[in-house]
Amino acid sequence: MTGVLEVKNLNKSFDGIVVARGINLSLTAGKVLGLIGPNGAGKTSFFNLISGVVKPDSGAVTLAGVSIDRLKSHERVRHGLSRTWQHIRLFPSLTVLDNLLVGTHDYPGESLLSVLLAHARLKQHDKIARERAADVLGRMGLSQVADALVSDLPYGQQKLIGVARALMGDARCLLLDEPMAGVEGQSYAAMQRVVRDAADCGVAVCVVEHNVGFIQDLCDEGVFMFSGAIMARGSVAELIRDPQLTELYFGH
Amino acid sequence: MEYVYGIIIIVGLYVVLATSFNLIIGYGGLVSIAHPVFFALGAYTSAVLSRDFGVPVLLAMFAGMVVAVVASVALTLPTLRVSGDYLLIASIGFQLGLLEVIKNLRFTGGPGGFTNIPPFLIRDFGRESYVILVLAVTIAVVLLVRLIARSDYGRAMSAMRDDEQAFASVGRDAMWMKIVIFGLGSGIAGFAGALYAHYYRFITPEQFEILQSAAILTMVVVGGVRTTWGPVVGALLLQALPQALTFLHLPPSVLGPIQGLLFTGLVLVFMFVRPQGLVPAENVWRDRTPRSRTGEGG
Ligand SMILES: Nc1ncnc2c1ncn2[C@@H]1O[C@H](COP(=O)(O)OP(=O)(O)O)[C@@H](O)[C@H]1O
Ligand SMILES: [Mg+2]
Repeated sequence: MTGVLEVKNLNKSFDGIVVARGINLSLTAGKVLGLIGPNGAGKTSFFNLISGVVKPDSGAVTLAGVSIDRLKSHERVRHGLSRTWQHIRLFPSLTVLDNLLVGTHDYPGESLLSVLLAHARLKQHDKIARERAADVLGRMGLSQVADALVSDLPYGQQKLIGVARALMGDARCLLLDEPMAGVEGQSYAAMQRVVRDAADCGVAVCVVEHNVGFIQDLCDEGVFMFSGAIMARGSVAELIRDPQLTELYFGH
Repeated sequence: MEYVYGIIIIVGLYVVLATSFNLIIGYGGLVSIAHPVFFALGAYTSAVLSRDFGVPVLLAMFAGMVVAVVASVALTLPTLRVSGDYLLIASIGFQLGLLEVIKNLRFTGGPGGFTNIPPFLIRDFGRESYVILVLAVTIAVVLLVRLIARSDYGRAMSAMRDDEQAFASVGRDAMWMKIVIFGLGSGIAGFAGALYAHYYRFITPEQFEILQSAAILTMVVVGGVRTTWGPVVGALLLQALPQALTFLHLPPSVLGPIQGLLFTGLVLVFMFVRPQGLVPAENVWRDRTPRSRTGEGG
């Protein structure tokens, strides 16, 4: 069985700093993979390379069997790749709900013609999208802030909204960059549940996270990245126990 | 009466220009100074086609709009591909360059201008009919931009201005959106140009100089950027006030400087006293959603 996302021999360096060293990785539908590694290992860069934010020096990425190497960022998203950002990057001038609505998969409001001509379709889409957004927000415990401006909310809640927004696109593959950083304990269970639900619906998930407990509870498997290379793949418990990896993780 | 009609038409056309420029620079966040040249392209296209090629005026006017849209894509497509920052620089070159071309072509009448442009409506229906046409277009444009700003498209524009990369990460195409916004704004300016040409029936390159761009920008900023009524108020103030001054029958030697002072003074006053413009900025997406659902807004 081939993965939803297949990464083949991905390489990238920035002026001598190697951030991706021949990475081969496969993400499977319905599974959550933890991506572990110290700061500067190249985890965020890996997401940037896959999502088309950064161009690789070489390598190939396929999504659901189709090469996405030549696709622009937004085209990859439409093809089913969804990501969050380590530094959140919401739309600060919009409310929580509007952030999510812009993030829907098929957004007719993006086309001027459909706005000017096709009011019926817009209304129908709007109704479905609002229901979906209400559902996602409800599951994350964010219903009461739906109408708040995101820039007025605390960092932890913004982080959750970033994940909620990514869930609005019909993703086959979901990349989460440190979703728990800055999030308070009470959202722990909500975040676990939401990500697990996505996987149970057949989404291939990859999570970068320093919160080892979170990774251990959530992930089916883990990979360890160091200096742009994947050093090991296995159960999260195994990776954590490995003394060599622990030393790499915490430095000397 | 003809004088008053002239004022109504010129103010109306400046409302159209300021409103369409507000769409580009305010809602679209696209910093450009090349608005007058699209005004010119519409004017010249319609004038040349109708006078020298026998194209019916109404058709020629729409052709003027189309040419302005096509030219705008020729500006935005290559520059936005590189980076948004190039747009401003490229727009300066575009504005100066294209106007220079118009000045040096034979079929545009060169620097002397293009005369004998066929009139429209006025011969059959009187001057009033043209005034009504311009007013109708003005109202339509103001309402169109308002509709867009408050629609889902407006929400997407807001998101795009906030963070382009995040916008792409939810599957939205920022570049295409910018090309469309710029194209629509420029097309509207082109149509305004055509309306201008067939009323005054004489156009020269000087009427579309880069300085016009400062005037239009001032209208938007003084009135209130990213608002429906800001550009309307701005255009009224900066076009109608200097015109009204002429009623005072001052000698031209005094009138000119007074108009200049008024213009500069207004800009200075607004920069210091009311940088947000006359009409308070409405963040549609901040105000609308909560109020419409909870009904708590005052
Ligand atoms: N656009 C860039 N230009 C130059 N260097 C970069 C860029 N992006 C990341 N890097 C460098 O690549 C390395 C890996 O960064 P990153 O992928 O953010 O690591 P991680 O997410 O694992 O902490 C860091 O040394 C960082 O400074
Ligand atoms: Mg990182």
